[in-house]
Amino acid sequence: MFFHISMEKNMQLHPRHFGPHLRDKLVAKLMKDVEGTCSGRHGFVVAITGVDDIGKGLIREGTGFVTFPVRYQCVVFRPFKGEILEAVVTMVNKMGFFAEAGPVQIFVSNHLIPDDMEFQTGDVPNYTTSDRSVRIQKDSEVRLKIIGTRVDATEIFCIGTIKDDFLGVINDPGAAA
Amino acid sequence: MSLEPFNRLVRLAARAFYDDITMKGDNQPKNGRGDNRGMAVVVLDALTRRQWVREEDLAKALKLHSKQLRRTLRFFEEEKLVTRDHRRETAKGAKIFSAAVAATADGPRGKEGEEKMKLHTHSYCCLDYAQIYDVVRYRMHRMKKKLKDELDSRNMVQEYICPNCGKRYSAFDALQLVSLTDEYFHCERCNGELVAESDKLAAEEMGDGDDNAKRRRHEKLKDMLQKMEEQLKPLAQQLLRVKDLPVPDFGTLQAWEARANAANRANGDPSANDSSKSSQGHGYGGTPMPFLGDTKVEVAFSGVEVKEDTEPETKATALKVLPPWMIREGMVLTKEQRGEVKPDVMKMDQPSSSTDDKKQKIVKDDQKSIEDEYIKAYYSALMERQRAQEEVTKKMQSEAGNLSNGVSEAAGRKVGAKAKREEDEDDAEWEEPQPTGEVYKVADLNAQAQESSEDEEDGIDWEEG
Repeated sequence: MFFHISMEKNMQLHPRHFGPHLRDKLVAKLMKDVEGTCSGRHGFVVAITGVDDIGKGLIREGTGFVTFPVRYQCVVFRPFKGEILEAVVTMVNKMGFFAEAGPVQIFVSNHLIPDDMEFQTGDVPNYTTSDRSVRIQKDSEVRLKIIGTRVDATEIFCIGTIKDDFLGVINDPGAAA
Repeated sequence: MSLEPFNRLVRLAARAFYDDITMKGDNQPKNGRGDNRGMAVVVLDALTRRQWVREEDLAKALKLHSKQLRRTLRFFEEEKLVTRDHRRETAKGAKIFSAAVAATADGPRGKEGEEKMKLHTHSYCCLDYAQIYDVVRYRMHRMKKKLKDELDSRNMVQEYICPNCGKRYSAFDALQLVSLTDEYFHCERCNGELVAESDKLAAEEMGDGDDNAKRRRHEKLKDMLQKMEEQLKPLAQQLLRVKDLPVPDFGTLQAWEARANAANRANGDPSANDSSKSSQGHGYGGTPMPFLGDTKVEVAFSGVEVKEDTEPETKATALKVLPPWMIREGMVLTKEQRGEVKPDVMKMDQPSSSTDDKKQKIVKDDQKSIEDEYIKAYYSALMERQRAQEEVTKKMQSEAGNLSNGVSEAAGRKVGAKAKREEDEDDAEWEEPQPTGEVYKVADLNAQAQESSEDEEDGIDWEEG
């Protein structure tokens, strides 16, 4: 799920940036530092939408770096248990398959794949139904439900299932090609 | 619109789901006196016998404290079984409601509190049948789904075990375990191939007690699911029965009141025309329309029809065959009305109808000389039918007793049966889209059209009654 939240961070700026464009430099550095990171509490920071406030800088003794408290608005993405996501399959193996929904890695074990889908080994490992109408392979898009999340300080990993109503492949690259 | 199936649904649901709900807060000590389990069922039952009811009246009728009742009702409101309405009104305003109640329940109601021009907030409540149906269905669906999910361990996080060193992993570690060389997960410690825990082999090798517990749990779940299906069977059946029936809807409190009062007035109930009530318009959304009762249409028949009609009406009205589009699941009908037991008439009918068919075929063959044929066929058919009818009535009188399907009423309603026979034929002929059929039918229609329409009305009336 996506959220638009306000966050704060202390930015350290090198003295060489001190000049007429200090503020721009600071914002550019903030974006570079923050976007794409993941915190266990808030999830992945997708984008910074605006800087609310830059506080007074504090010069650090010895180094000359200056610390600015910056308050900014950003869009974050955090997966939740029970959430339905659309994801792209990245790897298929005997134990199940891995998929990505943006920055989030999701593993779907073979127990959570419908029973009528069988693993087919070969050049392109895939899961296929007995009538060959549905196939999950690398780059397939699937709709899955998250049944568990492991949230570390800097990483989020999810376990998904496609063994439920309306879940499964939503487009098949093999069929299109 | 019949309430009975829905009321049964409510009663069943109350016993199934709200039997052991206590309305007391958790802070109160639970002693013998304070235990009010089962009250919820009583309240719901009482509501099935009423439409909109003022909560104080309900409390009085149930001999409950109004606070206690309100707590129960609030609970039901949250459960979406009951709709409630609150409004500030004078004692006079409350009387309108009493009138409405009198109109529907026509029970004797004492004079409610004398005219005090003081505003009180009164609460009213009513069962919301449409929502109850949905709520009960949803509840059962959720119960079943939850158990089934557990049973299939559908939402379980898979665990993996290394058979070599016994280290356990969960699916959350999958990213680290995946190997680049083959398609299995590999142990971080000894690089052995991992096996999914639910696999038989691993389960036997590894902790046995854990597995036993799991199996026991599985058994328990299965048992529970089975018990649930068994115990909720009547409820499920009732839901199925109610599925196609129109849901009774009393509308909002105001609408219901207006309707009830209007109906009352239309029936000429003197109490509704009280001067005090007719002057109540102020403080309300609108004055109820005085002559908004059910429209009643009387059709007078002339000649033969009247004679035919009036006689069977007494005996056969309840036993008319309902047209198939009127029969829905859950209707309480006799076999006769469903048309399952074909009245003996159908049998006697066959000779005449078969000749009819033959003739129709002939006519169909040469379309050129249609007109002449029509007229001839028309008259001959008419003659034949009249003859057949006479025969039938005669036969009926003589043979009614020993007919093969042994419908005992046969003797009792010869005239009615005759009328019905023609109607049945009507139905059969309507099905055929040929032009000839229509010409044929002119005879039937003239004789029968009014009557069949009257039949339908009869059917509806009976349903309501």
